[in-house]
Parts: sequence; C-alpha cells; structure tokens
Amino acid sequence: MKRNFFLVLVIVVGLPAAALLTHWNEQHSRDPQVQFADEQLYLNGPAMKRITLAFNGVAADWYWIRSLQYVGRKMVAYEDTHTGNLDLNSLSYLDLRVLPSLLRMTTTLDPQFLEPYYYGALILPTLNPDEAISLLNQGIAANPREWRLYQHLGYIYWQRGDYNKASDVYAAGAKIPGVPPWMMAMSARMKAEGGASQSAREMYTHLAESSEDPTVKQMVKTQLMRLDSLAEREKIRRVLLDYTHGRGHCVTSWREISAPLFAAGLRIDASGEPLDPTNVPYHLIKNGCDVDLDEHSALPRQ
Amino acid sequence: MDYPNLAESVKPATYIVAGRRVFAIARNAFREAVRDRVLYNLVVFVLLLIAGAIFLGEISAGQEAKIIVDLGLSAILLFGVFIAIFVGVGLVYKEIERRTLYAILSKPIGRGEFLLGKYLGLCLTLLVNVAIMGLGLSLALIYVQRGWDPLVVRIWPVIFLIYIELAILTGVAMLFSAFSSPALSALLAFFVFVIGHFSADLKTLATSMGTAPSRWVFAGLYYLLPNFANYNAITAAAHGQVADGRAMLAGAGYGLAYIGVLLAATTLIFSRRNLK
Repeated sequence: MKRNFFLVLVIVVGLPAAALLTHWNEQHSRDPQVQFADEQLYLNGPAMKRITLAFNGVAADWYWIRSLQYVGRKMVAYEDTHTGNLDLNSLSYLDLRVLPSLLRMTTTLDPQFLEPYYYGALILPTLNPDEAISLLNQGIAANPREWRLYQHLGYIYWQRGDYNKASDVYAAGAKIPGVPPWMMAMSARMKAEGGASQSAREMYTHLAESSEDPTVKQMVKTQLMRLDSLAEREKIRRVLLDYTHGRGHCVTSWREISAPLFAAGLRIDASGEPLDPTNVPYHLIKNGCDVDLDEHSALPRQ
Repeated sequence: MDYPNLAESVKPATYIVAGRRVFAIARNAFREAVRDRVLYNLVVFVLLLIAGAIFLGEISAGQEAKIIVDLGLSAILLFGVFIAIFVGVGLVYKEIERRTLYAILSKPIGRGEFLLGKYLGLCLTLLVNVAIMGLGLSLALIYVQRGWDPLVVRIWPVIFLIYIELAILTGVAMLFSAFSSPALSALLAFFVFVIGHFSADLKTLATSMGTAPSRWVFAGLYYLLPNFANYNAITAAAHGQVADGRAMLAGAGYGLAYIGVLLAATTLIFSRRNLK
C-alpha cells in the first residue's frame, strides 16, 4: 500500500515536472527547427529513394509537408517583422533558398506527385526561374500526359520573355489527347504576338480557371488589373504627349486634359483625375509630363 | 533419419488426415498469436496512425487522400514486417524453449507438418491483421473524402501484394529460425527485407561488374534473394493507379514458388536438427 502510494506520487509529480522542464527548455534554448531551417539537405533524391525502400511515397509526403511549412514559417516570420501583407509577387524577400531542394527531393521520391511541380511553378520563378524550369521539365519527363505541367512551363518561359520556347512548350502540351483547345491557340499567339498584353490576359484567365487555389485566383485578379492599368497609362501618355505638342509645356493638373482622357475611355472622378482599376487616382510625375501609379494604389508596379 | 519429413509422412491415403493435423497446428498458432498482446497493440497503433493521418492531411494543401493512402499502406507493410519477423522467428523457438515441441512431435506429426502448420497459422494472423488495417484505411479514406472514393477499392490489390510480401518474409524468418537464435534470425530476416528492395541495384551490379565471377555472384544474389520490388505498388496506389492484373498474378505466382522453396528448405534444415 505504502509502495503503491509512493509510485502514484512519482507519476503525479513526475509528469508535471517533466512538462515544466520541457517548457523551460523551450524558453531557454534555440528552436532547432529555426536553427536548421535553411540548412541544405544532406542526401540527394536518388540516395533517399533507395534508403526509403518501399516507403518512398510516405517520405515524399513528408518532404511535401516540410516544403509547405518551410514557406509558411518564412511568411509568418516576414509578416511579423514587416508591415503589409506578403503576396506571390514579393516572395523573393523571403530567402527561400532550401525550397528548390525540398521540392526536388519530393518529386524524386514520388515523380508522379503533381502538386509539388505546380507549387514550384508558382513560387520558384520569382526566386530561381532556371530551377523552376528544371523542375517542370523533370515533371514532364515523368508525367508526359499531364498538360498542366506544359501550361506552367509555357507560362514561365512567357514571363521570361522567351516567346519561342513558350510557344514550343504550349504546342507540345497541345498534342496530348483531351487537352483544352486553347493550349494550341496559346502556342500560336505566343509565336505571333511575342507576348502582347492580350496573350497575357488570356494566360492569366486560363491560369485562374485551372487552379482551385484562392491565392492564385487573387494573383490573377491583381495581374489582370495591372494589365488594364498598363493599357490606361499608355493612353494617358498619348494624351499628355498631344497636350505637350500643342501647348509647348506639360500639364499642371489633370483638369486640363480630363476631356480627352474621358474621350479615350478612361474613368474620371469628380475632380477630373483619371482612376486606376483599384479606383485610386493616377499620379502625375516629371512635372506633369508622365504618369505613374499613386503610392496608395494596391497594384504591383512591375 | 530420425524424424520423417512432410513428404515422407504424408502418403496419398493419409492426405486428409495430414491436412487436419496441419490445420490443427495452424489454428493453435493463430490462437496463440491472437492471445499475444503485441499483435493487438500493433493493430490499434496502426488504426491510431491512420486516424492521425486524417489530421496530418489538413496541413498538406489538399493532398489528404494521397497522404492517407501512402501512410496507411506503408504502416500496413511496416507493422506487417515487424509481425512477420518477430513472431516468425519465435514460432519454433518458443516451442523448443517451452519444451512443448517434444510433446507435439511425440504424436504422429511430422516436422514438416509442424512447420507448415505454424507457418499457415502466422499467415492467417497476418491476413487478419492486414485485413483489419486495410479496412481501417478504407474507412479513413471514406471519412476524408466525405463519401465514396475509387481509391477505397483501388488500395486492395496493393494490400494483397503487401500480404504476399509479408508471407514471403514470414517464410524467410522461419528459415533463419530453423538454424539460428531468434535475435540473429530477426536481424537476418530484416536484412533480407532490405536487400529484397534493392533487387534492381543487384541486377545493375550484375551487369556492370568487370569480371565474370563477380557478375555471376550478383546475378546469383539477384535471383536467389526474394525480389520485393515485385510488390512495391504503394506510391502508384496513392495516385489511384490500380496494380496491373498480370503483374499481380505474376507476383502471386512468384510468392507461391518462393514460399514453397523457403518451406522446403526450412523443413530440410529442421528435420536434421538435433532436438535432444
């Protein structure tokens, strides 16, 4: 009886003591996950594939979750130390140097796991476009019937301004049975227009249609507004140029050209200022000779 | 020879009687394994693991089903391997240790019949384990997909292949336990499991070696050791790919042939073992 009481006492006291010590240890030591977060992987994909025997699928899942958590942790850390939200266009600030290796490991362990290719196609181009292209080429080699991989690869080439390669990739993807007809149309347009804004608009629209990810849909919405804004600024520049040629000097306020701006199809607010797609007025720069986005505009500048 | 082996003891007229003896031993081996708490714990643990996969799936960006299939099938294989090895190596050893083997062999039961019965008993235990784990995995899939999913059906051919692999491994564990201690037998059986998954590398080595004797050695090892790559379909199953019917038949045939060889070799060794 006395011995049992002592044993129960050890359990009752020991468990909270162990929990307290764990908590203390966490408070007073460096988080190993943070410490080793940016350490390169020790093993390459083929070696890991051998070591994991029949368990390569579950190992691929592990590296996939690790990739997501790696990016997630970096985003949280960035947002903790910076103001404003982080979007896909500014991922280069995150220093995701291990992400290519993690995605490469995942796809080597399970070459038919498509999500890591798509994820890499979205995130890697801003960090390391060559790595993104290499990853997608690996994905196409392992999954030659997956037309979305061609779509992503074509998009990356288009973003780089390599229209011929983008066209070739779209054409290769268009040969897959059952592929949407616009893949071939995109190939032709890439070839013909060399990446004009209409092509860009179509690619963004198709990208939004083919993705379930709300982040991607938001990015497409922003990019489409950016394209609208680029077209509007081009119109404003023409009006400004006409004004300068006619008067011999640049405009001093938007009111002076509000009528031709309206005639050119721009939206004008009550004070005569042209509005960008986010309803923020454009900003006159270079002493009224040029136009730019206002600093309060949510549109990306590049 | 002191003790008749299976081939000698089972004469055409006594096939049915011999079958009954084997069945009785198998049934007892199964009962013994079921009474073993470790087996229950493993089943519960795997079910818990699959339940854990449901939560793990939530942080996988829409890949719940794939991760659950990967994790579930891998767990079935891993825990099956542990059961096959650790129970397999103890099947005969425990009977010798408890001296119950002498009582059994004093009856008109051949050593071959005894080994076959023990083997079938453990295979039945593995079958029940694998089936329960597979059922748990199917239920987890239905839960995650909020209803029926083709994967629920597509995982079963792979579960069958895993079971064949485990049956071979049980035979390997029994073979080692026929002439070695349980600890060493478990270690050797585990090595065979690992090497069996490196069969493609053995074949590559066999073709890439410079000298003819080394080529023969590696080619010999490639054909001698069990080729577990035949049963490696977990990753494909997670992508909804059903194992090819012909490959499954070939895998089952290979398994039967290999198990036959293992049991024959085990019987030969065990028949010559001095139990005095």
